Amino acid sequence: MAPLTQPLSIRIDKKSFPAVGGREQHLVLKGIAFDVEPGSFVVITGPSGCGKSTMLNIIAGLDEDYEGAIDFGVDGNPRVAYVFQTPRLLPWRTVYENVALVLPDGDSRIANIPELLQRVGLSSEAAAYPEMISLGMQRRVALARAFVLEPEFLLMDEPFVSLDDPTAQALRELLVALCSRRPTTVLFVTHDRAESVMLATRILRLSEGSASIAQDVAVPLSVADRSSRAKVLAEQHRIFGDG
Amino acid sequence: MLKAVSAPTQQRFKLGRVGWSLISLLALVALWEIAALIARSRYLPGPWAVVEVMIREAEAGELWTNIAATLIRVAFSFVIAMFIGSAIGLALGKFKGADLFFDSWLIFFLNLPALVIIVLCYIWFGLTEVAAITAVAVNKIPNVAVTMREGARNLSKDLEEMACVYRFGRWKTLRHVTLPQLAPFFAASARSGLALVWKIVLVVEAFGRSNGVGHQLNIAFQLFDVPMILAYALAFVIVVQIIEMAIVQPLLARANIWRR
Repeated sequence: MAPLTQPLSIRIDKKSFPAVGGREQHLVLKGIAFDVEPGSFVVITGPSGCGKSTMLNIIAGLDEDYEGAIDFGVDGNPRVAYVFQTPRLLPWRTVYENVALVLPDGDSRIANIPELLQRVGLSSEAAAYPEMISLGMQRRVALARAFVLEPEFLLMDEPFVSLDDPTAQALRELLVALCSRRPTTVLFVTHDRAESVMLATRILRLSEGSASIAQDVAVPLSVADRSSRAKVLAEQHRIFGDG
Repeated sequence: MLKAVSAPTQQRFKLGRVGWSLISLLALVALWEIAALIARSRYLPGPWAVVEVMIREAEAGELWTNIAATLIRVAFSFVIAMFIGSAIGLALGKFKGADLFFDSWLIFFLNLPALVIIVLCYIWFGLTEVAAITAVAVNKIPNVAVTMREGARNLSKDLEEMACVYRFGRWKTLRHVTLPQLAPFFAASARSGLALVWKIVLVVEAFGRSNGVGHQLNIAFQLFDVPMILAYALAFVIVVQIIEMAIVQPLLARANIWRR
């Protein structure tokens, strides 16, 4: 399917969670409005608990209880893939089945699965069940599951959290490689500043409390720059004011 | 020194599960034989006397027709109870309002003695097969409903969202996301359910049926024919055990293959 052709507009005027079990009603997001350019890699960052995941859920259409509108314009109902904070695999289905299940029945893309599994280094785990492989491997299955759809719009919610550095770094490189195969628009949530600079073409920083956008910056690094630790650090310092 | 000691222990001959079961069963039979020898009473026959009665009954065909009659009742009431009980349980687990309203009904039926249900079914519907199967099923339905309700409450929101984002649709979600989560609850209620149904079917038969193991036990009771009672009990236990090992356990093992 064709990539997105026009910016998608995200507007969340107000999102609050109702009072439940002694907890008061609280406002999570307010006055959020931004456009996402086709083919851009937008990282949303901010303190933990500031509503990043809530925002992704709204954009994914999982949470419809908010004031505002998510508008994909002429692209209507694009193919969305979502890599969650936990892998969210079906433990009773094999690695291969977990990837294959997101495709509609009889879809020709099923032929791409072996190659994709090889790409994420899981060829020999295709018949394994998710609970029998490591968390890093499970995250790679979740990546394969997202990419087999050839998504036009990819949502990712701290997909590499709680992994050791080398594993996370390898997965980031894998993500960049997979994204470069076809134009993909990505919305990526993380609180890892180095990670955001390495991946983003644009960074949105959310403020603390009832979050709104505090900062919206472009990251003008080339692909080569992103693998240079010094350049990433310098850029991180420019954006976040730390080292 | 320590290493030298620990090495041979790994080579030690290991008695498998089957071996242990066999030994423990033999011990039970031996204990029974000893008790019979001490008691020397016609109300406590030894194992061999019981086996003789069993063989006699089997040769006459009585044993098989009665066990078959009981098994058919078990099968019908079990399937009906699992089906209706699951439907009620899932509905209660999914709809909070229904749960609030029907919870006290469920508690009422859970605590209603089996005997009351059996007697009332026979009075209301006559001494018929339908009444018998209904009585057993009604006894079992509340247990299934409670277990399945727990299953429905425990459905993962995470996986449901995943299925939603990836557009699984109704059927795919049911088959690959919802049912596998309910399977352990279904298995638990099926297992405890089968155990309960076995027992209640016999009571129902003793009360108002003219065949089946329960009916046969009732007659033997009136004659104080203990060898007959034990012969049927033993035959019944063996059949139940065979069903458990040949059908229930392989199914459970297959369903749990993905577990660590």
